[in-house]
Amino acid sequence: MLQYVARRVLIAIPMLLGAMSIVFFAMRVLPGDPCVAMMGDQATSGALADCTKSLGLNRPLAVQYVDYLWRSVRFDFGNSFRQGYPVSDYIARMFPHTFILVVASAIVAALVGIPIGIVSALKRRNPLVDYPLRILALLGLSMPVFWLGILLLIAFSLHFDLFPLIGGGDLDGVLAMLGSGEVFTQPWDFLAAVADVLHHLTLPALALGFTLAATVSRLSRSAMLEVISQDYIRTARAKGQHERLVVYKHALRNMMVPLLTIIGIFVAIALTGTVLTETVFTRPGLGKMLVDAIGARDYPLAQGAITVFTMTIILVNLVVDMLYAVVDPRITYR
Amino acid sequence: MPRHTRRISSTLVALACLLAALVWNAVPGAAPAEAQRKILNIAAKEPDTLDPHSSTLGQSQAISRFMFRGLTRFAIKDGKVTTAEVEPDLAESWTLSPEGTIWTMKLRKGVQFHKGYGELTAEDVKWSFERQINKAPGTRYGVNLDVIKSIEVVNPYTLQIALKSFDPIFLLRMVGYQNGYIVSKKAMEKLGDGFKWNPVGTGPFYFERHSPREKIVLKAFDKFYGGRPQIDEVHWFDVPEDATKLIGLEKGTFDLLYPEAVTADFADQVKKMGAVIDRRGPGGQERFYINMTQPPFDDIRVRKAFMHAIDRKAIKETMYPGGLARVATSCLPDGYFGHIAMEFPPYNPELGKKLLAEAGHPNGFTIKNYFISKSFFYPKVLTLAQEQLRKVGIIVELQVVDHATFHENIRKNLDPFVLYGGTRITDADPWLSLFFDSKEIPDPATGNNGTNFAHYRGIDDLLAAGRVERDVKKRATIYHEAQKRIQKDLICLPISDVPGQWARNPKRVSTPFDPEYGEFSLHYSYNYPELLKVLK
Repeated sequence: MLQYVARRVLIAIPMLLGAMSIVFFAMRVLPGDPCVAMMGDQATSGALADCTKSLGLNRPLAVQYVDYLWRSVRFDFGNSFRQGYPVSDYIARMFPHTFILVVASAIVAALVGIPIGIVSALKRRNPLVDYPLRILALLGLSMPVFWLGILLLIAFSLHFDLFPLIGGGDLDGVLAMLGSGEVFTQPWDFLAAVADVLHHLTLPALALGFTLAATVSRLSRSAMLEVISQDYIRTARAKGQHERLVVYKHALRNMMVPLLTIIGIFVAIALTGTVLTETVFTRPGLGKMLVDAIGARDYPLAQGAITVFTMTIILVNLVVDMLYAVVDPRITYR
Repeated sequence: MPRHTRRISSTLVALACLLAALVWNAVPGAAPAEAQRKILNIAAKEPDTLDPHSSTLGQSQAISRFMFRGLTRFAIKDGKVTTAEVEPDLAESWTLSPEGTIWTMKLRKGVQFHKGYGELTAEDVKWSFERQINKAPGTRYGVNLDVIKSIEVVNPYTLQIALKSFDPIFLLRMVGYQNGYIVSKKAMEKLGDGFKWNPVGTGPFYFERHSPREKIVLKAFDKFYGGRPQIDEVHWFDVPEDATKLIGLEKGTFDLLYPEAVTADFADQVKKMGAVIDRRGPGGQERFYINMTQPPFDDIRVRKAFMHAIDRKAIKETMYPGGLARVATSCLPDGYFGHIAMEFPPYNPELGKKLLAEAGHPNGFTIKNYFISKSFFYPKVLTLAQEQLRKVGIIVELQVVDHATFHENIRKNLDPFVLYGGTRITDADPWLSLFFDSKEIPDPATGNNGTNFAHYRGIDDLLAAGRVERDVKKRATIYHEAQKRIQKDLICLPISDVPGQWARNPKRVSTPFDPEYGEFSLHYSYNYPELLKVLK
């Protein structure tokens, strides 16, 4: 197993290097000069020349590339062109917000999507159950997250005043308390900070989770349909086992393998979804930051964010591969 | 269910209930101490920097005015903030030498910098200007101070600024705006690059903290020389979406909104919720420049046909119905020194067709690969113009690109006519110099990234004359003549003068100036943020 993990980590290195190189060159191939983007209609020829020099963009491309790789190895992605903050600090501050949003929306998507998928598969011959569930899934698929987000804000933030309109809550406080050990000395403060984060997280997680639940439900449905047509399910039923037991004990566990496969893809989809979710709910996070950075041609920020995204996806896929062995003992790694 | 599973379940349920209770308790409004403070909540985009000499984005310049001041400021006359008249601010008085090249500025005594950085002295003023003239990394406005030859500190409260030649708008350059802001030398030397996010000025509010992608908090400066502001804190939230801003204004989360764009729908919603829009002129101008060196626009008849094809009023009304903007009357916007209203070829597509036929284009012509920005007003205005131009036979094949690409391509002369916007110091000289001086003709071969998109060379002599003219009336006449030449040569068609517009909840915040153009603004909308008051 360890050997397998080591091999996968080694394979990840050229993948990461490839992704970083593509981002580096793609950003520079894109039309649009960072200084022009920064200065807009204030750009004069002299000011643009000064700006290009101060950002180091007048150096040969090869020099910039090697410099970028060398710095990245040390997790130093340089400073944001626009804001001047070290990119590593910026990402360290934004990533936890995006991470908890992805996790929370994954939970919502799983809690909503998997039961719907299973019920829809098991009751496929009952149109009164199957059709409404499939329509619900279709709704989730066709509803853009920003539209659902605005609806949720109008209903639960504006009219019922139950949730905040903007922000990500005191996540910095939570992390600081975890780091300093105050979680044990001041548990009530810690719980209050966690509650604040959850309070801010609820609507964005519901919006993103619900739109993702549609995909999950459709995939769960087809996975379940495949499983319940297997011989061992028929055998279990022939043995007179209760239907609930057949589903819980035999079908559900066996449909976990195909479900796990989609988690890797799911993380990529969820990360993409965070862009709009973070924008509508005005949450800090990596998704919105990345899009802004690309639009502003903030090379260091965009490069840093994409590197972190790539690492996350590689890591999640590795963990998913490891989990196969947990849910299916027949799978071993060599 | 096994006993240990039941126990775990019970613990989880209890924990969930506890968290739910905490979340529920977190719902009601602010804590008592916070409720007593007068907090102004602003929804805008996040600034790119708080160094006033480096900020080019509208939001960065808007927040700068809360923290920084200049030697002069726009004067308040008859309850209105004027457009181009200045009065002392950090400077108490000034004199100009007889030959018109040495300004002696006397500073107001006792002006304090934020955060204990001491009293403002002539050294700070010298530092603030010289860092820009010397093009310190990141600074953007040194070009506006190129007229300065040297700065000499006479004593802590007096300095002499020697100019290369007489500059008729020197006092305007000293206004608290872009290059005119005075920063603390001591703070800059101590903080270095950190000054970007730990700024120190002399304005009515000081910087407290920045949570990236969330908010910036400013606090009232007790030692502000104009008296402590009534507002205790300013919370500047990063809210990119206008829809979210509007919900926040209705909910009471925000008191002031700096919208991306004020559309008719936006204005309607603001009105419905009982809020007001503070219009601050002259704002930005949207206009077309026609490249007079590029066929077929090198023929003045084609340029005239272009202008006859464009229904300026229709574009303005579609984009900004009613009072949201004004049809522009000159390529030098109303409110700028030297402006005069002009007539432009009226909307008449039939006449346009006739002129095109005379110029050898009876069936019109097609402009392929016309680049337009996907941001701001650009795509909407251009789509409207595209439809109008089609009626006279000018087919424009659009390529919508991002804003940075658009700026790059227009400087490569890839568009034969250019839609452009902008705001500058309110005088004819900087404006006309930037857009009509032959030195600003963009040329990829030489690397000139100027903004004379019309490639015009017709007013260089007038610009030179205006720069040395000391008689105000004669100067104005020179610029009137310049506008007449621009009009005669048909190289620029102004469309709309769009004011700076913020939405305000009048039940929460008051301003002494009338919502309708009661205050002049440049990139910021509130010249005197210290006069804003939180009512409840």
